Amino acid sequence: MKVVMGIKDVLKISAKPVREIDAERLVDRFAKLRLNPISELEARDRTKVCGEVKRMTIKPRSGIPSMEIVINDGTGDATVIFSGRRHVAGIEHGHCIVVEGVAFADGNRLVFLNPAYSLLPMSED
Amino acid sequence: MATKSGSSGLKRFFIGNPIATSEDHHQRISKKVALPVFASDAISSTAYATEEILIVFLSLAGVGAVAYSQLVPISLIVVALLIIVVTSYRQTIFAYPSGGGSYVVSKENLGEYPGLVAGASLLIDYVLTVCVSVAGGTAAIISAFNGLAPYRVQICVGFVLIMMLANLRGLKESAMLFAPPTYIYVASLITLIVVGLYRVFVQGLPPIEHTGEAKHLLEMQGSVTLFYFLKAFSSGAVALTGVEAVSNGVPAFKKPESKNASITLIWMAVILGGCFFGLSVLAQHLEPVKDHEGIIANTVLAQLAEQVYGGRNIFFFITQFATFAILILAANTAYADFPRLMSIIAKDNYLPRQFMNRGDRLVFSNGVIFLSAASIGLLVAFGGLINALIPLYAVGVFTGFTLSQSGMCVHHFKHREGSWRAHIAINGVGAVTTMFVAGIVVTVKFVDGAWIPAVLIPTMMIGFKGVHRHYTRVRGFLAPTEGYKAPFRTHTVVVLVGSVNQGVLQAVRYAQSLRPDRLVALSVIESPEDRKRLTDEWDKYGLNIELDTIVSEYRDLTEPILNRINEIDDLDNDDLITVIIPEFVTSIRSQWLHNQSALAIKARLLFRPNTVVTSVPIVIP
Repeated sequence: MKVVMGIKDVLKISAKPVREIDAERLVDRFAKLRLNPISELEARDRTKVCGEVKRMTIKPRSGIPSMEIVINDGTGDATVIFSGRRHVAGIEHGHCIVVEGVAFADGNRLVFLNPAYSLLPMSED
Repeated sequence: MATKSGSSGLKRFFIGNPIATSEDHHQRISKKVALPVFASDAISSTAYATEEILIVFLSLAGVGAVAYSQLVPISLIVVALLIIVVTSYRQTIFAYPSGGGSYVVSKENLGEYPGLVAGASLLIDYVLTVCVSVAGGTAAIISAFNGLAPYRVQICVGFVLIMMLANLRGLKESAMLFAPPTYIYVASLITLIVVGLYRVFVQGLPPIEHTGEAKHLLEMQGSVTLFYFLKAFSSGAVALTGVEAVSNGVPAFKKPESKNASITLIWMAVILGGCFFGLSVLAQHLEPVKDHEGIIANTVLAQLAEQVYGGRNIFFFITQFATFAILILAANTAYADFPRLMSIIAKDNYLPRQFMNRGDRLVFSNGVIFLSAASIGLLVAFGGLINALIPLYAVGVFTGFTLSQSGMCVHHFKHREGSWRAHIAINGVGAVTTMFVAGIVVTVKFVDGAWIPAVLIPTMMIGFKGVHRHYTRVRGFLAPTEGYKAPFRTHTVVVLVGSVNQGVLQAVRYAQSLRPDRLVALSVIESPEDRKRLTDEWDKYGLNIELDTIVSEYRDLTEPILNRINEIDDLDNDDLITVIIPEFVTSIRSQWLHNQSALAIKARLLFRPNTVVTSVPIVIP
């Protein structure tokens, strides 16, 4: 590592996008769990991944609702769909969950359909 | 439903009620009226041309009283130059009865680049016409009331602002306004010369007695070098500025246009040449003194008038006010021509389209405002002194002359009508002479400021070309090819939602009416409780559309929304995204309390491809 920082280096640090800062935070947070990073996830593998809930979508599809969430572990996104539900206890923005199941590819995203999941405690310290 | 905001009321007060386009008919003007309208610019330069020659000799070269012996020879050369230029321009009048400005003539005959050089130098010229004339008018006022000298710049700026307002109202070429000052000025000038020469030669009026700085300048013993002689000549050559105005305005004359215009041109040349020469002879005998820094407040014309009329009496003040009035009018001609030229250049796609827009009063408002801003900038930068501006002025004038005359040569050669060889000879002499003068001006005054147009003209050309390239590229890109059909696109609509309120409900209903392929409501929330409240309300109002919630970890609203829109966009290849933003519209007083984040989002989405941003307004009375 360079000891002396030039102006450009300083600028580079200050110009780091919020996305990257957030990704680093999440990678640090989930390091202890030693699960597979989402970025290495392949469709039709049985795996176990974890992530923080980034987005929640409620789809009121003709009477049969579904809840779709996107989790992120700092390496990538995975979509989890809970069909027939508008609400899953314990799943909320900012919460972390571990998902176990087989992902399939839908377009350019990876989707778990009704996987087994477990909730992680809100904060570890 | 008509709405009236406070700002439009203010605008009406200053600018007046709008005029319909169909009301725009050019009135044809007679020669008597045309002379003041078109010649005020040229004739007004007699107010400072003699003075500029004297400044070079007395203040810059420091030759002392010898200067006065050079005045008449230089005047004679300038008058000869005037005759050449006017003879040349007479031909332009007949060849271009539709109005042949330098830009049009050079662009048509010489091609794109010479046309642009002419355009650029003319634009610079008009700005300087405003500056020099306003500075001259102010100098006339200061000569009458010496106490105003410290406020020179402020007075100049004030006049420019008044003229800007008047021109935004549109006073264009109204004869009633132009005729009296021009004729009074010409009359007062002729009176001054005749009475002055009578008193000098018959009554033996002695030269002006000088004290202080002026006396010091007169006692200098420098010698007249060729350099300073040429410099003085190029200062005197500014007398020719504005000569081209008549040829620009041929269509405004009564029939037969060309004949009337050429007669007016000759009248103008006679008045201009006669007065300039007469003043120089008078100055030779009365020996007025002027320096280049404005320490001597009185203009040469004021000093002459004071001496001839024997003090500051009514005749003196009439001369001063007439001088002031004609100089302001001269500045005003630039206000008529500059915006018009800008609009012509803009029509050829070399300047932003905004300069083609005519305002409420049928004037090219943007050009008027631009001209005022540029003039004020120059006047402030040069302290409102004519002398400092003159070197900048002459370059553009003579560049314009040269290009216009060369263009006329090519024109005659192409058409070969009548005695075209003689015509080419006349215009050729004009072109060569004016080119020679332009060369002299640039050379001897380069360090004094002639470098500014020398740098500015190429810079402006690069700008013109850049604008042109852009417009051409855009047009080429947009032009539909044979049998072009707009592609079908998947349509996704994203409604941005804060909380559920009437505005949001209306926006969702509107979004549904678009019948998109996909409809998503998107909300950035701060905490899980927010989401709970939102989903509850969502159910309560039976909103049957997908609701996306994202938490903003870093309290930022814009970034998460843009990221989400990017994600949605990635799902399909050639989709079109409509982002619907419910907005409150209140009044001008409280509008700033709302929609600040909406504004930020809109600004970011403006440059996003395939994105439509729609505001659904809910008016809160």
